[in-house]
Amino acid sequence: MATEFVTATKTSEIPVGGVTAIDVRGTRIAVANVDGTYYAFDDECTHEQCSLAEYGELAGTTLTCTCHGSEFDVRTGKVLAPPATVPVRVYPVRVAGDAIEIEV
Amino acid sequence: MAPRCVIVGASLAGATAAITLREEGADGIVTLIGAENELPYERPPLSKAYLRGDVPFDKALVRPAAFYAEHGIETLLGTRVTRIDPSARLVELDDHRRVPFDALLIATGGRNRRVSIPGADLEGIYGLRTVQDADRIRKEIVAGRRVVVVGMGFIGSEVAASLRQKGLDVVAIDPSKTPLFRVLGKAVGQTIADLHRAHGVRTIFEDAVAAFEGTRRVNSVVTQGGLRLECDFVVVGIGIEPALDMLEDSGIIVDNGVVVDEYCETNVSGIYAAGDIANHYHPVFDRRIRVEHWQNAIKQGAAAARNMLGKRIVYDEIHWFWSDQYDANLQYAGFHTKWEQLVVRGRLDSGSYLACYVNDGRIDAAVGLNRAKDVRRVMPLIKSRRAVDLEQLRDEGVDLRSLQVSP
Repeated sequence: MATEFVTATKTSEIPVGGVTAIDVRGTRIAVANVDGTYYAFDDECTHEQCSLAEYGELAGTTLTCTCHGSEFDVRTGKVLAPPATVPVRVYPVRVAGDAIEIEV
Repeated sequence: MAPRCVIVGASLAGATAAITLREEGADGIVTLIGAENELPYERPPLSKAYLRGDVPFDKALVRPAAFYAEHGIETLLGTRVTRIDPSARLVELDDHRRVPFDALLIATGGRNRRVSIPGADLEGIYGLRTVQDADRIRKEIVAGRRVVVVGMGFIGSEVAASLRQKGLDVVAIDPSKTPLFRVLGKAVGQTIADLHRAHGVRTIFEDAVAAFEGTRRVNSVVTQGGLRLECDFVVVGIGIEPALDMLEDSGIIVDNGVVVDEYCETNVSGIYAAGDIANHYHPVFDRRIRVEHWQNAIKQGAAAARNMLGKRIVYDEIHWFWSDQYDANLQYAGFHTKWEQLVVRGRLDSGSYLACYVNDGRIDAAVGLNRAKDVRRVMPLIKSRRAVDLEQLRDEGVDLRSLQVSP
């Protein structure tokens, strides 16, 4: 299926170090602000489906799902620490003016 | 020559150690020996998602079956180590084979304590430690059946919750004043009792099981207080004891588990222990601590493996665990036995709080109910061993990451 960049939110909506979940065309996507660079990934933790925007704690590019301690690299979705074993899906992001666009 | 590493116990700690040895570049023989027939698996789902039938067993495996061969990890499953001989540097197996080692890790965990009261040998009475135990309980799960859960520690509490979620009629009994009383105390334990009662569990505290009755199979539980609880089956969760038999006459010092230093090493050079069996000198708390947590099994197993390769890494993780019951997420971090003050952020009766066990103004441990982020944020404060501003700790308006800490 063809994908395209869709405006998801404004840069002003996500503070540095923050993670916010947004519905983008029916998919719940979390967007993290790492010192002005934005990363987008599925909001649902691959371990037991906790919301990563709600429970995620961001330190640099490492996001800890505080429900059960799984750690992910927000740049790649890679699992850095269990109990999760499955990577979280990531989405390409670009910023156009003050708009954060996500490719879905 | 590359050292030959032998790991006794195909547990989470043991498997993590084997994986870590390879990650660290160990290119010698790595042998993982386990008494159970299954490949290493994680136990947390056994009282929760796996018990309820929500996830298949494969999801609990530490690594898929192919991983071990691909990484040259020799697995001897269904095999018990009967003796460790530190001077000859070998372990003896139950089939009398001998396996030599240069570095050894003991990660055999524990076994369930059993009740020794009349009727304890009746059918229909289960403990829960292994996947086989979980499978036996699963066969009993039919909505509407009556179960008595004996012991409301973490396993008992989780089993009671899972069985209620499956529609069983659950009675839970514990000699303490509340669930989890020994660790969390009365005020916090009370909130867990409330949680179970709100979900329809009948709770009986400050009473103990006196006998199980039935002809061949259990049909009722009699308490010391004179109650008679009719039931279809029983689950007993009264804790574990470290399994130390193979260490008899080995010269390895045992005291509430295998005694190890901050490097996870026993009194015998080159022999280490990790996980539930290890009574580890914790440098942060300046005392020996033996815990039975998932996170400790992983992190201590990994640390011990690195030290088996001569890296001399001090293991000083702040212990942490979670316990999901119904839709509530309970987490604990740190270590405490007693406390001068219980400082609560939020309200204990609100279903969402962080309760900190404080001594000399410092947070030794914290428990959170539906406060996952707060527990994570309080962990550096626990590790700092510094006194904190308790008013700020109580104040929900203050971010725990910016709490004032004494110099």
